[in-house]
Amino acid sequence: MLVLSFIAASCVLGTLVKQQAPPEEYLAQFSESTYAILRFLRLTDVFHAPWFLLLIGLFVINLVFCTIDRLSRFLKSAREKKLPNEKTLSAMSQAFLLSGTRVEEVARLFKGYRRAGVYDNGQVLEKGGISRYGVYVIHGSIIVILAGSLIGLLVGFQGYLTLAKGQTSDVAARRGAMQAAIPLGFAIRCDDFKVDFYPNGEPKNYMSRIAIIDHGQLVKEAEVRVNHPLSYKGTSIYQASYGSNPVFRLSVAGKEVQLTQGGVYRGDGLTLMAVRFEKSVHNFGPGVQIAYMEGTETKTTWLLRDVPAMREKEIVGLPVRLDDINEDFFTGLEIAHDPGVWVVWAGFALILFGLFVNFYLYYRRIYLLQTPTGVLVAGTSPRNKDAFKQEFEKWRERLNGPK
Amino acid sequence: MDLSSKILGVVTLLYVCLFFLHLVYFATKKEKALKAVWLLLYVTFGLHTIGLAARWIESYSLGYGHAPLSNYYESLIFFSWCIALILIIMRKKLNAPIITMCAGLAALFFIGYASLSPSVDRRIQPLIPALQSNWLHVHVFTCFIAYAAFAVSFLCGLLYLFRGRGIIPSGERLEEINYQSVMVGFPMLSAGILTGAVWAHYAWGAYWAWDPKETWSLITWIVYALYLHARFARGWKGTKIAVLSIIGFASVIFTYFGVNFVLSGLHSYGAS
Repeated sequence: MLVLSFIAASCVLGTLVKQQAPPEEYLAQFSESTYAILRFLRLTDVFHAPWFLLLIGLFVINLVFCTIDRLSRFLKSAREKKLPNEKTLSAMSQAFLLSGTRVEEVARLFKGYRRAGVYDNGQVLEKGGISRYGVYVIHGSIIVILAGSLIGLLVGFQGYLTLAKGQTSDVAARRGAMQAAIPLGFAIRCDDFKVDFYPNGEPKNYMSRIAIIDHGQLVKEAEVRVNHPLSYKGTSIYQASYGSNPVFRLSVAGKEVQLTQGGVYRGDGLTLMAVRFEKSVHNFGPGVQIAYMEGTETKTTWLLRDVPAMREKEIVGLPVRLDDINEDFFTGLEIAHDPGVWVVWAGFALILFGLFVNFYLYYRRIYLLQTPTGVLVAGTSPRNKDAFKQEFEKWRERLNGPK
Repeated sequence: MDLSSKILGVVTLLYVCLFFLHLVYFATKKEKALKAVWLLLYVTFGLHTIGLAARWIESYSLGYGHAPLSNYYESLIFFSWCIALILIIMRKKLNAPIITMCAGLAALFFIGYASLSPSVDRRIQPLIPALQSNWLHVHVFTCFIAYAAFAVSFLCGLLYLFRGRGIIPSGERLEEINYQSVMVGFPMLSAGILTGAVWAHYAWGAYWAWDPKETWSLITWIVYALYLHARFARGWKGTKIAVLSIIGFASVIFTYFGVNFVLSGLHSYGAS
């Protein structure tokens, strides 16, 4: 329990400090010495820090031993189904006496109950016995889930890939810069990319046509949409994001020039650079910021495509006109390989089953004891007293009914 | 104003009536008043359901076509609906009118805040691609039923501190209701986290990414797991359990609201 509390506390820390952000971002928020402390304690990446993994390890060990301990005690007590004596039974909160009948007759009336113990002087009946195993199923499946995630951690990988139309790549980049690219073992080619928009300009859906090329052979062609990934050889390809590379078509002194962002044009004694692209410049539509040299001085100006007066400007004596901006979309794909995912799914199914059994079914036991005057009926349910009380009242009415 | 907003406006008024009907019951202590309370709750819940359905249908006429579970306003309305639903589900166990009154007030608060606050955008908005999935329904439903059940547990915990006074029932009664509601909430929260993980696997490429919402739902889950273990393994009772259920609900509130407004992450849809 203590370990679980510690895990909860470290999770809180992990959400308070932004995780895995670049150092600059932390330095903007904290002082340099605070950042050094955060880094030392790995608070910038709590969930991958050795101490956090250690905590999870401790938790697993704890869980295993507690469960085994409890299970062995439970199995021992479950085997013992002794019939308590008359005094104990009549003291139970749910008990009544049926006079003039025999245990066998009463036992037959308890439909849905299993005979757990038959003695000379009475019987023990039970129902919902499976619910008592729910807790072990839940604990076991938590271990299965953690094992599955460990497999993913050890042999899986996660990366991303951006591809323009027609581009091919056989490696994915790892998140967190400065890390080696991940070879995929096959190549992905982006054949097409499409975005649909809602009338208000928000993206409705975006999708890529992807081709998988393995050892020089085209093996698969498919469409990847958000929420609809493609899987090949255990590696999944997700549509994660998109972006665009604007291409600016300019005419400089009547000559057609194409510039990408950051591209430089030199000619006619003029040096131009497309510095910045904005989809909407003060609501006047798309535009590009151009930097140029006037003498030894660098100057900038904006050209707007949809505003005639701002479309053409004279730069160092030469007319420069923005004819069009083509946006070349590129697709952002998330690449994940996680052989442990099926283990995790199995754990999920198991835990749902365990939770259902544990919380929606409940165990109850009925004791029938032969006494000189009749049969003493008593019952208990450790987990769901209310519901059992109601059920027991019904039994009482039904058994007393005919008389 | 469109039809769904009108219906939900009436529903808000009905929640107000529900509160006053409770007061009538407490003043007269007549069984008839209690029967009327439950009847009104059923009617309110029914109309609330119709209001949600109308909004769903209206989203189709706007060309979006999605369940009303996609933004902050819709989540508040839905949360309010879930509180009413949990009261109906737990009716047999909730033989304490003070709890139905307080929970009804909570439902009123959320639907009222959603309808009146100027900071809540009430328009039907298009659904961003990541949310276009059938997992949305089951994920949101399980999570919010869990939140509503925990709200009942929280009320029991809070009332426990004033147990036995006036109209507040005995400590044992409150403890039993508290425990019953966690019995509903805990498996639902687990199911919510699991369906979220499966969905995340298909939408984001990883079933667990330590996104703040995910992490906080795990924290909430751990708190309620501690609650159950404290009760069963350690035999905790009384005030300690009541405090745990208050802490648990504080964590729920932070998972629901805090994460949206304080922390940023993949789950930021609910904030706008």
